[in-house]
Amino acid sequence: MSLFDKYAPLQARVDVMMKMGRDALGLQFDDIISTTRARIGNREILLAGTNNYLGLTFDEDCMKAAKDAVDNHGTGTTGSRIANGTYSEHIDLEKSLADHLGMPSCIVFTTGYQTNLSAISGLAGDKDVVFMDADAHACIIDGTRLTGASTIRFRHNNPEDLDKRLKRQGEIEGGNALVVIEGLYSMFGDVAPIDEFVEVTHNHGGYLFIDEAHSYGVFGPTGCGLAEEQGVLDKVDFISGTFSKSLASVGGFCASRHPEFEILRKVMRPYMFTASATPANICAALAAVEKVKQGEALRANLKARGQQLHKGLSEMGYDLCADASPVIAVRRPNEVVAAMEWNGLMENGVYVNLAVPPGTPQSSSLLRISLSAAHTEDDINIILKAFSDLKDNQGQLMSDMSAKLQG
Amino acid sequence: MPTRDEVYDKICELLKPYNPKNRPIEMSSGIMTDLEVDSTAVFDIIMGLEDHYDISIPMEMVSDIKTVGELTTAIIQLTSA
Repeated sequence: MSLFDKYAPLQARVDVMMKMGRDALGLQFDDIISTTRARIGNREILLAGTNNYLGLTFDEDCMKAAKDAVDNHGTGTTGSRIANGTYSEHIDLEKSLADHLGMPSCIVFTTGYQTNLSAISGLAGDKDVVFMDADAHACIIDGTRLTGASTIRFRHNNPEDLDKRLKRQGEIEGGNALVVIEGLYSMFGDVAPIDEFVEVTHNHGGYLFIDEAHSYGVFGPTGCGLAEEQGVLDKVDFISGTFSKSLASVGGFCASRHPEFEILRKVMRPYMFTASATPANICAALAAVEKVKQGEALRANLKARGQQLHKGLSEMGYDLCADASPVIAVRRPNEVVAAMEWNGLMENGVYVNLAVPPGTPQSSSLLRISLSAAHTEDDINIILKAFSDLKDNQGQLMSDMSAKLQG
Repeated sequence: MPTRDEVYDKICELLKPYNPKNRPIEMSSGIMTDLEVDSTAVFDIIMGLEDHYDISIPMEMVSDIKTVGELTTAIIQLTSA
C-alpha cells in the first residue's frame, strides 16, 4: 500500500474534472494585463473571480509604494516579527489600520489565512468555548483546531440559533465564549446580521470576532466593513481582514477594541514562527488603506455592477445563492455540470471560480463570480452574454459532457 | 435517556438526505468513508442531533467519530451526562 492510496477517491474525482477540460483548481495565467484582463495562450480573458474588489492591484500609487519599498528596504525581511522582521512600515500599517477602525490595537500578519489561524488560536484557551458560524472559512476552522478550546457550530447567519447554543452551554467555568462570524461570506456572498450577533454575544458575556476579509474596503461609509455599515463597529471585540482582496497585496490584520490584545504578539505561533510580510507587500497595503478611506466612488461602482449582474442573471433564470453583492454565486446541479460550464465560460473568454464541496456550504457546486470596482458596465454585459450562451448551448454542453465522461 | 435503537433511527433519518444512493446504514458504516457524506454535511447532521437531544457535541469530539455506531455511543453518553 502506497502513502498516496488514501487519496485515490480524490484522484478519481480530479480525473473526472480533468476530462471536462482545463484544471479549474490550477489554472495558469500567462500574463496579467490589467485588474480585469489576463491572457492565457493567445486568448484574452475577462477576470471575474479575483476578489480584487476595489481594483487596486494596478493602482499607480499602490504600485509606486511597492516599488519604492523594494528600493528602500529590499525584497524580503528574512525574519519573523519577534526577531528581525519588524520594520517601520509594519508598525505604520498597524497604526494606519487601527486608526481607520478606531481601535487601540492592530496586529499585521503575513497572510490572511495565518491571521485567523493566529488570532483565534491565540485568543481561545483550554477553558474557553468557541462558537463558530456553520459556514466559517477554513482558516477559522483550522484556528480552532490549534486551540484546546471546545468548538460549537451554530446555524449559518442565525443569531437565534447562537443564542440557543450559548444558553445550552450555560456558564463557562474559568473561561469565556468567543463567537466567530464573517461579514460577507465568500462563497454565497451573503451578509451577516452583525448588529444582532453583537447583541446576542454580549448578552451572554461573550466576545465577538468578525472576519471582514471580503467586506473590508467594500462596505461602510469609510470602507471599514459591514460592522461599520451596520453602525456597530465600536461594539465589536475583534475585526480581522486580509490584504489580498480590497487591499491589493498579501497579508492580513486583526484589530481589537481591547488594548490587551497586544500581548498576543508573544503567544500566536503562526505570527511568531514565520517570516514577516515583505516591505513591498506592506507598503502596497498601506497605500491601499488610504484609497479605501476615500473610496466612495469605487464602492458605488462596485455596488452598481453587482446589482447589474445579479439582475441580469436572475432574469435568465439562474439560481443565485444570495442578494446582490460583489460576490455572486450561481448554483449548479453537481460538480461535473459546474466543471463543464466553467470550461464553457473559459472558451467564451470569461474566468470565474469553480467552487465545489467540501469548500462550499450545503455541499453546493458553484460558478462563483467576484466583481471589481474596475469592471465597467460593458464588462458585466460580457459576463452576462457568456452565461446566456451557456443557457442557449445547454443541450450541446450536456452531450459533450456525456461524450467526455465516456471517453 | 434515549435507547440505542432510537438514536440509531434518528441518525438514519438525518442521514437520509445525504444518502441519495440509499447505501445500507449499519452501526459499522463509516460516515464519511462508506456513506460518502462530506465533512460539511456531517456537521449539519451533528447540529440536527444537538437540537433534537438538546446537547452540545463539540467539533473536537466529532473528529474522533468515524462510524454510525460511534456517533450513537457519543449521543447516549452526552444525553446521560
